[in-house]
Amino acid sequence: MTDEKGDSTSPLATASSDSKPTAQRIPPETPEAISTRFLVIATFWAVIIFLGFPIWWKTTSIYRAHLPIQEMVDWADGKTCRPVFPLEIQVAAPGMQSPESQHLLRTTQHALDDLNEFAAHHLRLKLTNETSTAQQTEDSMEVASNGEEAPDTALTVRVIAQDGLVVPKAELHADTTQLDVFYPPSQVPVPSSSNPPLSVFIAEELQRLYGEEKATVAHILSGEKSGLDSVNPQFAESISRRLRRSMKYADTYHLSFSLFTPGPEPSSWDIEAAVQEYLSPLLHAFAPISNFTVDTQVQLYATFSPMAPPPVYDEVEAAWTLKKEDLSAFVNAAEWPLNPSIGNGPTLNFILYVPAPSQAPMMVKENRASSWIVPQWGGVFLLNPPLSPAGKGSNPAHLSRDYLRPAFMTFSHQLLTLLGTPTTPASLPLRLQTLIRIRAASLLLSASSTMGSLARLTESLPSIPIPATVASSVSITLSHLSSTCSHLRSGRFSAALATARVAETEAERSFFEKSMVGQVYFPDEHKVAVYLPLLGPIGVPLFVGLIKELKRVVAGWKARRRAAA
Amino acid sequence: MITLFRLIQSLSLLLLLIGAVTAEHTSNWAVLVSTSRFWFNYRHLANVLSLYRTVKRLGIPDSQIILMLPDDMACNPRNAFPGTVYSNADRAVDLYGDNIEVDYRGYEVTVENFIRLLTDRLDEDVPRSKRLGSDAGSNVLVYMTGHGGDQFLKFQDAEEIGAWDLADAFGQMWEKKRYHELLFMIDTCQANTMYTHFYSPNIVATGSSELDQSSYSHHADNDVGVAVIDRWTYYVLEFLETQVTSANSKLNLGDLFDSYDESKIHSQPGVRWDLFPGGEPEGRLRTVVDFFGNVQNVEVENANATEPGSLKEDLAEIARLVEKWQKRDEEYSAILGNSSQQHGENQPSESVRLGSKKTGPTRMAEDNSWGKRLVGLSVVGACTAIWVAGSILGRSA
Repeated sequence: MTDEKGDSTSPLATASSDSKPTAQRIPPETPEAISTRFLVIATFWAVIIFLGFPIWWKTTSIYRAHLPIQEMVDWADGKTCRPVFPLEIQVAAPGMQSPESQHLLRTTQHALDDLNEFAAHHLRLKLTNETSTAQQTEDSMEVASNGEEAPDTALTVRVIAQDGLVVPKAELHADTTQLDVFYPPSQVPVPSSSNPPLSVFIAEELQRLYGEEKATVAHILSGEKSGLDSVNPQFAESISRRLRRSMKYADTYHLSFSLFTPGPEPSSWDIEAAVQEYLSPLLHAFAPISNFTVDTQVQLYATFSPMAPPPVYDEVEAAWTLKKEDLSAFVNAAEWPLNPSIGNGPTLNFILYVPAPSQAPMMVKENRASSWIVPQWGGVFLLNPPLSPAGKGSNPAHLSRDYLRPAFMTFSHQLLTLLGTPTTPASLPLRLQTLIRIRAASLLLSASSTMGSLARLTESLPSIPIPATVASSVSITLSHLSSTCSHLRSGRFSAALATARVAETEAERSFFEKSMVGQVYFPDEHKVAVYLPLLGPIGVPLFVGLIKELKRVVAGWKARRRAAA
Repeated sequence: MITLFRLIQSLSLLLLLIGAVTAEHTSNWAVLVSTSRFWFNYRHLANVLSLYRTVKRLGIPDSQIILMLPDDMACNPRNAFPGTVYSNADRAVDLYGDNIEVDYRGYEVTVENFIRLLTDRLDEDVPRSKRLGSDAGSNVLVYMTGHGGDQFLKFQDAEEIGAWDLADAFGQMWEKKRYHELLFMIDTCQANTMYTHFYSPNIVATGSSELDQSSYSHHADNDVGVAVIDRWTYYVLEFLETQVTSANSKLNLGDLFDSYDESKIHSQPGVRWDLFPGGEPEGRLRTVVDFFGNVQNVEVENANATEPGSLKEDLAEIARLVEKWQKRDEEYSAILGNSSQQHGENQPSESVRLGSKKTGPTRMAEDNSWGKRLVGLSVVGACTAIWVAGSILGRSA
């Protein structure tokens, strides 16, 4: 529209230019053109302010889900939950009258409480009748939680009269959670005695059984270093040694069994049957604590590393010996294909090494041992099979299940050690129960401290995004932590471990959420460098247009005022 | 008297334990990163591979070394010696060899992946060989080399990592207890600026050159055609190769840092001690193999010991367990023979997964394709509507 008018005015302008060449003037704009331009500029600014700015704000802002920071910090500081370990011990006294056994129970409990120095871990005695005991002993093997409300029975004590004894004697069943206490019939506590010798004996026996567990729990609860002073010194060394060599807790462990041999034989082994027979019972027993996956491999022509000292022939032993200090170089980590990177759990390596016939038998020089543990890594077993008579003596081509028995028994032992099973008491079910309590305590603490780390991270890095999944993981963690705490308080340790495992998994997931990557620090120069090429070309005309328009409006307004005045 | 004796005994045990605890680390990890690609940066890859060779020689297994190589010099068409990488003109040691495990290669070497590696914010399906599995007992060696500047290090000519990001990554590692002690080494121009922002404890940091100083290459191999190693790395390696000859070496970090010779390196290397508890005097006492070697105190099992928890005791217990299970199996199969009805009810929950279990392929990413299509359709529809409305309005105007 304006074009037409412009064209029509130009001849007029050229006509007048003859007389006044310097006074060439642009004709005044029509009011419609001015209002159109005003509208155009206003539209541009409206789009920028009402559309562009919100979009920019929305797309560049970092989503941070709300986290219950204070609650998380409280968990990490141990303010929310003080874990306690009340162990329920059932006492059965089939040979005693009810008042006598009641009295025995009371005095024993009293003696126990006197002996106990560590309040968080205490034993609670409970009288039971004979019939239910047998039933529960069977159950406790599987460490199943019996019922929703009832606490797990840690141990059953059977008090049995036996003739011909002078002092009471205790016998721990190695494959169940049962302790038999035999006493001479003359020592039946009379209700009048306040401190009968039988009670004292039972109390001391129980105290001894749970001594290591108590020390370990105290050590875990009081933190990594400071705990050792409150611990009985006789356990301190064994605890710190165990913590040094055992693996960090994981939900799933990967067990890798490898047969290495420097020659062509043995080239096969009865591994499936061996794992099934010798290992799966143990793995089943560990089921409440961790899951396991297993893989196996056979590697022929596996040589020592060139830097490892070779075995030396010992005339006295008639064997090839390895020095103890050289054992760390035994595994040729560079060339033996040992880390299969399968699954997401940590790998425990178990190596069965069959030496070449020219170097058999092989053993450790110092104590003639044939196996050793590499802390936090796995175990090695030297298997010296009988050489087959064919030819000059060669290794058997196939290792049968019976050959593998000592190796797999040793591997089972190494597995127990590497998973941090305590060494006492001398009953596997009891040790596994202890492990459940230890793991529950350490998982509770580690999940709590992860919560604290996440809370501090959230506050210290304000530019890190926090997706909603993290918030939900945190709330799952916190709820499971509190149920772990209440399970512990009422003595349901299997249930406590189960919830603690969930809490730990969720806590790890929330901390290691992959979208929370702190690669977001941009110095200000970077921001300028990013925005300037974009905003410069757009911004200059916009701002100039805005300023011109404002000037015009102000001028018009002033003119109108002057006209009015 | 007896109590006094016991007190002394427990005190001495305690002292012994404290001494043992403070210096303890249980595993070693190494993160070796080159950040530049292309043939003329041959020396950066050679730097890293030389360090890789050294830490492997001192006992860190491949599974605990994360090696990041952005380019493959051995297979570069310009390489006159295909399949090999040398860090010295004498070409005595082929660093590539036949046994290196590169964990991140080519365009996988990015700032993001590096930070994800340190903080372990990785997808669940990332294999363990690509993860830094260190824990509260691990000593970690981080070595970086490439082209850098004031408080940044360039990755692959495309992006850069700032000193702040690196400091935050280490801060998060400390927060999650992913290292016990950390030795940070960097060979680049203005390297010392990279560790100025660190704030987490237990870190010793060292770099090749001050602010506004270049870090120079050591020498070129005329047949390879490019420089093969950087000066600072060359002299660090010289120390490690000639002095630290075995994993039992007693040389400490103080000796290593004292071996820096500015007249040879042609720049001023720096060391930062203040984050280390006890500062320089304490940090100097850490042995070189605390970081470059692998701690491994094997425990030989005495077959004749009888204390609780010893091999013999455990074997007996495990044997009993095995027997019990065999018995249970027999009973179970007897039940199975009697009635197949009970089979389903009596079956113990299978929580132990043995190798025989087959797992199918899993979906890699969750994709909600219908939702995406709906969003796309509505966007297209909205755009069309706006266009139609605009054209109608335009015609009427």
